[in-house]
This record gives sequence, structure tokens and C-alpha cells, in this order.
Amino acid sequence: MSGPQKPLELILARNLLTSVTTPAFLVARDGTLLFYNEGAGALIGRPFEDIGQLDIDEWTSRFGPFDDDDEPLPFDRLPLTRALREGRPAHDEFMVRSADGIKHRIAASAMPIVGTASGASGAMVIFWPVDENQAREVTTGRHEVAS
Amino acid sequence: MKVRVWGARGSVPAPGPEMNRYGGNTSCVELTLSSGETLILDAGTGIRTLGFSLPPDLERINILLTHLHLDHIQGLMFFPPCFRAESNIRIFGPSSPEASLEARIARYISAPLSPVEVRELPCDVSFHDAPATEWQIGAATIRAEAITHRGPTLGYRITDGDTCLCYIPDHEPGLGADLENLNEEWISGYNLARDADLLIHDCQYTDEEYPGHEGWGHSPITATLTFASRVGAKRTLLFHHDPLHTDSFLDDLHRSARRCWEDLGGNPEQIGIAAERAELTVEGQPSAAPAQARIAV
Repeated sequence: MSGPQKPLELILARNLLTSVTTPAFLVARDGTLLFYNEGAGALIGRPFEDIGQLDIDEWTSRFGPFDDDDEPLPFDRLPLTRALREGRPAHDEFMVRSADGIKHRIAASAMPIVGTASGASGAMVIFWPVDENQAREVTTGRHEVAS
Repeated sequence: MKVRVWGARGSVPAPGPEMNRYGGNTSCVELTLSSGETLILDAGTGIRTLGFSLPPDLERINILLTHLHLDHIQGLMFFPPCFRAESNIRIFGPSSPEASLEARIARYISAPLSPVEVRELPCDVSFHDAPATEWQIGAATIRAEAITHRGPTLGYRITDGDTCLCYIPDHEPGLGADLENLNEEWISGYNLARDADLLIHDCQYTDEEYPGHEGWGHSPITATLTFASRVGAKRTLLFHHDPLHTDSFLDDLHRSARRCWEDLGGNPEQIGIAAERAELTVEGQPSAAPAQARIAV
């Protein structure tokens, strides 16, 4: 079963993310993780098709983010939250955990997606491993994804 | 609901003896509702001849524009009711944060492109952003939603009693998307076209032509039919013919589409192709037993 059709701007955002290797999440206004692309799947160790949509509690408990002391970051501090609440891009660095338990330090930029019909319908979060070698592997698609 | 096609061509008018059967006028479709009211879908060059066929005492004319590309508005300036003081014309179209619908259309109906300005038209004309929620015109309930094309573009779902027509003349739902396997909530236009008795849909290209035109906002045969199949359209009318496609080419395209639809498990009679002056009667069919709309040309 599926829900109602997504707003066009989210459909197009998903199509765009499908077509690029830069890791990215697509998140609904309520924080639900709607989609992530192959680049993001490479980093977190699971393809989206294995996981599907997740509400915010589920995906933050699986992947993080965490601070340098391994403490969960307050939701309010996430670039995603700031982008949705303030309606402007936001950027930060923090730790995430992949499916195999390995932690990665990433830089994440979130931007709100605002359609013509209503306010922000969601946000796109683009991120990179801070480690340059790992970033290169992920964005060139040479990173192994667990199946 | 009665449907009459006044222009089925896309991009630019394509007159010529080799185009006579399908016609060279650009997008314009006339709907006659069960209440007798007329709805006009798009104002391509086909609206000029439609205008001559309308009774001069028609109380009100409603025009639903999908978008403002020239092949969908070019006929407005030559629409005879625009030049009659007694005409009451309401034009609906996509909103834009940039400018009002009237201001955007006035870029065309103004110097140096036009000898008249919108304010000089003698008719009573008003411009309206298509509402974000359903609205009523006569017997019809109308829903407009943004769909995948270049620039702000709407598709329309028009319901009259138990009959539903969907009009999406410019649409590329397969751009960057696996239409066959994608969950329906991620398919552009799905809500508009679901279970439509008649789907009038973009089919500008053959599959062989499409790679050179990917991202231009139009669909090849396979994407059109996959979309029609996913939404459960009971009949599909191929529309927005490429200006290079002659009558014989479109005959072949139609045959290919019917074969493709049959391969998808459908009845080839459900796939029609729009021709100028064609008239269709669309009647609601139960969802459980898809069947074709009746066509009389």
C-alpha cells in the first residue's frame, strides 16, 4: 500500500537524487525519511530498497547523528531541522553510524524544498564524509553497499 | 461528456497537405458538460476555429490553461469571442510567484508581439490562478495539480457525474524515474489520472526519437502507455503530436502504441490518437471492468 501522491517538488527532488552520486536524503516536513540515494546507501551500508520510508525516531536511532562524545545530537541542532523551521539552508558536521556499526564524520547541508502550492513540503540533505578518501569512494560509486 | 479536438499538435503549428488528417493546429480541446456548459482546455491555435463554432450568445466561456508555452496560448489573440463586448471569458492557469496570470499572458498579448493589449480587448475577461483545491464549473468538478514538464505546468482532472476525464497534454513522468516499478505515490500526475475514463496524454515521440529529446518535457510511446497502465486509464488518447510527424507517421505511431498496449495486457481498442475535429463521447465505466469510451469521428 502507498500513501497519497507526493507533491511534485518532492517527486522531482527524488528523481534528481536518483540521478546523482552525491549522498543525499529526502525528508518530509514532519521529519519522515522519504528516500535516500545510492550514494547515501553506500555510506550507511544499506540500500534504500532494503529500508524504505522511516519516521524520524527510527532513522535517527539507526544512523544518528551523534556528537564527538557519541551522544545523540538534539534534533533541534540538525541542519535538517533548522532548514525546515527557518526556511533557509543550514550546514553542520557530525557523526553518523552505518549499518555495520562504523562511525563516519560527515558534513551535511540541508535546504528546504518549497513548492508553489504551499509552504515547505520537505528538505533535501546532501552530505559528504569529512575523510577525503572516503568521500571520493562514495561519490564515485566505488563504495560497497551491503545487500 | 462530449469531447471535440480542435488542435492536437505540439510545439508549433504544422500545416501542410501531409498533415491534413491529424491537423496542424496546436493544443485545444472542447468539453461539453452534461449541464450544457462548455470548457475549453488550452488555447493553442485550434481555439481560433473553435471560436467560430461557438454560439454568439454563449453566456460564459471557461478556458483552462495547462501552462503558458506558446503552443497552448497562441490562439487566444485570435479567439473570436475575445473581440465581442458581450463575451464573458474566464481564464484559469498555473500560478507563479513571479507575476500574475494576466501579467504573464500579457507578455504575449502586447507590443511588439501583438497589435492589441489585454486591456484593449472588448470582452469581459478575467484571469484566475487555478485553485489548489477542487472547484466547480457547471456540472464539472475540476482538480488541477502540478505535473512534470518544463516550467509551471498543470494537469486537469474533470469529473462530470460518474464520468472522469484527465487532460495532461505536456508531461514527462518518466524523466529520471522508473515508471514501471515506482511506487504510485511517486508518479507525477497519478492522482489526476487514476481510473480516468479518458486520459488525454502527451505522446510526442516514438521510443527511438526520445533519447535525443530527454528532459524536453514530453513522453515517448512506452512511457505514455506505462503511465496509462499504472493509473488504470480506461481509454487513452495520444496527444501533442510532434510537428514533424506526418499523417502516415502518426498512423504508424498509433499502430505501434496499440501493439505496445497489447503487450502490456490491454485491449488495443483502448488506445486512440487525437485528430483535429474528432468528436468523442465519454461515459463513466465501472472500475472493475475497464472498457473503452465510445468514439465517433
